[in-house]
Order: sequence, then structure tokens, then C-alpha cells
Amino acid sequence: MPGFFSRLFKPDLGEPIIIVSGLPRSGTSMMMKMLDAAGVAIMTDAVRTADIDNPKGYYEYERVKDLEKEQDKSYIREGRGKALKVISWLLKDLPDENRYRIIFMRRDLSEVIASQNKMLKHRGEEDKSDDSLMIDAYMNHLASVRILSRKRDNFEMIEVRYDTAVKEPAEAARVVNAFLGGKFDEAKMREVVDGELYRNRKGVTT
Amino acid sequence: MFGFGKTVNVKIDKDLHARIAKVADVAGYATTEEFVQHILEKEMLHFEDTKNDTDIRAKLKGLGYIS
Repeated sequence: MPGFFSRLFKPDLGEPIIIVSGLPRSGTSMMMKMLDAAGVAIMTDAVRTADIDNPKGYYEYERVKDLEKEQDKSYIREGRGKALKVISWLLKDLPDENRYRIIFMRRDLSEVIASQNKMLKHRGEEDKSDDSLMIDAYMNHLASVRILSRKRDNFEMIEVRYDTAVKEPAEAARVVNAFLGGKFDEAKMREVVDGELYRNRKGVTT
Repeated sequence: MFGFGKTVNVKIDKDLHARIAKVADVAGYATTEEFVQHILEKEMLHFEDTKNDTDIRAKLKGLGYIS
């Protein structure tokens, strides 16, 4: 009966935190913008501002970058009922004291890497990584995220493909809104999807 | 009843099972189960041991997504 008792005495973890996740350059900022437009409260400090790589802004919360290192993660609790962007690598470091509804953005890995390489160049960062090895590493990483999402009782996750969201924003908005309980403005969510920003397509690098 | 509660059954494609059994035999494993358990454990380590993935970490750091 451990299942029964653990359910009975489960602590109240409050409203879930909506986590928008994925690899960097997989459409996480676009999803944050969709949620923002739909009326979801956003947890951001706007420290990282819009630039050539993300002309519509990043919607980030700077302190999240330290999730791996910081011991005190109690500030994450402030995100209850709000949306917070956490890249896939840091999902494992989210504290247990909250419930998380994770919208996980997926994008073709060659597109992700092309876009990341371009961003590294804009930032003046040296990149010695091999693209084909990175694809393997990311594939393993994504598999480990799926395993993690099944292991953690406080994680609920859906995957949204970036290309599908750009091509069929109404369907993406419907799926996301349903996942979040159907209480947000789907029309506004889909209106902000800007296909023009889908620049690094498979075989098309702009 | 041996090992009750410690093992589970997993269904896999019959042809794949036949191939696995053949390789397990050639490779000298005592049973097909032993071989399957061995390769699955090896694969799981691959997925679970993400902390040493220096390539990903370096890339994310360069992109400004981790500190």
C-alpha cells in the first residue's frame, strides 16, 4: 500500500510551474511568446534582451543558468502558476518542491546545431565541437530527458515540434492550451507565431 | 518462481529475438537474457551518465545558457 499512503500524504505542491524547455534554438522563446500572448504570467527578469539571434526577446530568468550549481533553489517556487524557461540540460536540477508542466520544444537537430553555431559566432565564442558528434550527444541527452520525465512524479511533459508549430500554429495552440487546462487565449497564442523567424531550415541556412 | 519480483517480461519482435539469441550464443553468454541485460545496462549508462558530457556543457556555456 505504499502508493496509497504516499498519495494520501502527498504534500501540497501548489499550482504547477509551466516550464518551456528544449535545446537552445529549438523554439523555446517562440513558445514563451505564445504563452505570454495567451495571458500566461511569465517569470522573466528581461536581463537578456532581444538581439539578432532572437529579435523578439529571450524571455529568460538569469538565475536559472546557475541551477546546476546553486544550493538554494527556493526562488523557483515564485514561478508557480507562471511560465519559466529552463533549457533541457537543466531540467534535472529543478527542485522537487514544485509540480512542473513541461512544454518541450523539438526541432530537427541539424537545424538546432546550425542555429547554435551561428549564435556562437555572433557571440564571438570559439566552437571546436564536431556537428555529427553533437547530434549523437544531443540524441542521447534527449533520450535521458524523456527517461527523467517519466521518473519524476512531479513532471508532466508534452513535446511540441517547432516546424509543426510554425506551419500549424492553430493546432499547436490547441494542444498547448489543452495541456494547460484550456484556460488561455488560443487565438492570441497562434497570432504571434512568426514563420519569418524560422531561418535555419534543414538544407536552408540563411 | 525464482527471482519473483526482481524481473519483468518485455515483449520484443520474434525475429529480433532470434538474432539476439544467435549473437548471445556466439559471444559466449550463458543465456539470451544475460546478453540482453548486459547490452541494456551498457546503453542505460550512456543515457544516464550525462554529467560528463563536456561537449554539450561547453556549447551551452558558449551560448550563454548555463553559467
